[in-house]
Amino acid sequence: MAPINRSFSRRRFLGSSAMAITAGALGMPFVRTARAQAATFKAGVITSLSGENILGGNLTKQGYDLWADVINAKGGVEVAGDRFKVEMFYGDDQSSPATGADAAERLIVQNGVDVLFGPYTSGSTIAVQPICQKYQVPMISGSAESPNVWKAKPEFNFGIIPAVDTTSGLSLGVLAKLSNPAAKTVAVVSVNEPFSKETGEGFRDGAKAAGLELATYELVPPEGDLTPVISKIAALDPDIVAVGGHEEVLINVVKTSKSLNYRPKALIMHYGITNPAFAQALGADADGTTGVVVWLPTVSYKDDLFGTAKDFAQMAQKKLGGEPDYTAAACAASGLVLGDALKRLGKKPALTQEDRVALKDAIAETDIQTFYGPIKFEKDGPHYHDNIQPVPVLVQIQGGKTVAVGPKEAAAADYIYPLPAWK
Amino acid sequence: MDLFLQTLLNGLLIGGVIATFTVAFQLAFGVLHVIDFAVGGWVVLGGYLGYYITAWLGLDGFLAIPLAFVLFGALGYLIGPVLYNVRNSRTARPELMALALSFGLFTLLRGGMLTAWGFNTRNVTTALSGESLAIGPVTVPLIRVVAAVFAAAIAGGLFLFLYRTRYGLAIRATAENRHNAALMGVNIGRLSANVYGLYAGITAMAGVLMGAIYSVNPEVGLRYTLFAFFVAVLAGLGSVEGALVAALLLGVVEAFVSTYVGASYSLLAIFTTLFLVLLISPRGILRRGL
Repeated sequence: MAPINRSFSRRRFLGSSAMAITAGALGMPFVRTARAQAATFKAGVITSLSGENILGGNLTKQGYDLWADVINAKGGVEVAGDRFKVEMFYGDDQSSPATGADAAERLIVQNGVDVLFGPYTSGSTIAVQPICQKYQVPMISGSAESPNVWKAKPEFNFGIIPAVDTTSGLSLGVLAKLSNPAAKTVAVVSVNEPFSKETGEGFRDGAKAAGLELATYELVPPEGDLTPVISKIAALDPDIVAVGGHEEVLINVVKTSKSLNYRPKALIMHYGITNPAFAQALGADADGTTGVVVWLPTVSYKDDLFGTAKDFAQMAQKKLGGEPDYTAAACAASGLVLGDALKRLGKKPALTQEDRVALKDAIAETDIQTFYGPIKFEKDGPHYHDNIQPVPVLVQIQGGKTVAVGPKEAAAADYIYPLPAWK
Repeated sequence: MDLFLQTLLNGLLIGGVIATFTVAFQLAFGVLHVIDFAVGGWVVLGGYLGYYITAWLGLDGFLAIPLAFVLFGALGYLIGPVLYNVRNSRTARPELMALALSFGLFTLLRGGMLTAWGFNTRNVTTALSGESLAIGPVTVPLIRVVAAVFAAAIAGGLFLFLYRTRYGLAIRATAENRHNAALMGVNIGRLSANVYGLYAGITAMAGVLMGAIYSVNPEVGLRYTLFAFFVAVLAGLGSVEGALVAALLLGVVEAFVSTYVGASYSLLAIFTTLFLVLLISPRGILRRGL
């Protein structure tokens, strides 16, 4: 019985294979025709849709999608008098850089995307860059903030958010100007891990430019206890304490400082304090903490598609159910860069490989004003292809809310300095 | 001099904090002969219980401590026999199988917490959060003093329990030779379940304190597992009293290196201490390990 069975299934297998091949041969031209009828630009979003960075990943996706929704509602991207809709494809990096590279390759090879929108994390962005180079597909990154992304001189990748070393460095200058009596010394603490260390180095290097004396620069392991470091800083008593780290460390710095009854005149952190979880976890103790953002709904920028920053924030609030942060704004602005470059390029979909290279060159020449701020990419230097135009805005937690306090033209409230002693 | 005294105090209190979750870990190893990777998971579970007690019920975080013991002690009591059976199964290398099981349990706890409660960092507020006492030039963070006292009380309590009660005698007998203990009428399976429950309960209680001293999110568990393991090796695996001494030593080393050399060298110093102690005294700092 067994041999008969086997020959029967082989015959069935051959039969179904032949049918599949025939169907494929007949079907493929039909599919191509269908595609040609509704020509669209295909954009791939590669970001963290699962794993530990899912929240940030969703922020980026929502930002990119907002642009696609708005532009498609207008009929699509305008190219040589016609409008072409944008079709979005998604790749999940599962919060891991290696998976991100695989997902990017899948989007390019299987979905045939013309352009990519970059991941939430810098680590994934760095991993995806060689894939963009290999297949010559330009990528616009609305989230990556590590300077290492741009030190690699990525030919096909462009960043909307200024690298963290520029923002943290500049922010100390803004803080020094706001402080009264003028701050003179700063102590920098950063966690010994890529993003946090780069933030700390930005603070360290920015101190000199801000006219501040560096009291100490402390690099702590992520597993370390902060009491020895805070005690040491308390003994040095600098005016400003600047911290490079993620929310958990930022929360622990505030808690440890309070438990040692030490409060500097200003406590500045970078990323993390705008996350509502920070103020939620610390309650009243979060008040007075300073942070740095590159965009707020109150900035005075505007463009033709989204309108003013406030208009964008209202629209995002309606669609997403919460106030957008600068990552979502920068991701939506990435779409504006793409739309502008496609318009200047003047090529209709689908783009060939030569077209994609030309698109990359067109993106490199971007010089536009958007609701997010000015966008123009560096052509050389350590921030190659990064948009370092936006000026960092200093925010402070006051009464549990994040408010802009500097520079003066962006301020919505007075800067509280020096901070009062712990209650 | 002021900074020196503060650093010494910081070190002793860091030691006290580490000891809270390593003392019971040693007991579990002594009886079950399993290096329980899930220790960090129990700590984090306790931390979350503390958070929800304060955030949802508006109660003081300290009230979560007895609740953590009951809740996670019961959970540990249910898991204990599984671990015991794997450890004593007839498969090849049961000790590695048990290690893999505890690692799996840790991964399950971490993933489960990530799914259930997200990755946001949470805080446990207590009556003593942020409170300090100034004694001369030294500032004493009271919540850490509570942790150190808790660790000492747990170690003292366990010591009395192990050396002054009949059940403690049975536990010690099982730790020494489980076959002989079984022949003397000790129900090894039930005893293992009790010990694992006791350990899980105590570790989760320590977790509430960790949430109050630091903060809690599903990712921090690994850190506690690592430190528990460092201390256990330094103390000599299975030595409860050694865990106290080892934790204090590691705390003082970390504090002095962080303050006077640089915080980035603190882990290096901890590993060097570990290496030297293992070289000189492989059975741990008090030479009482297994």
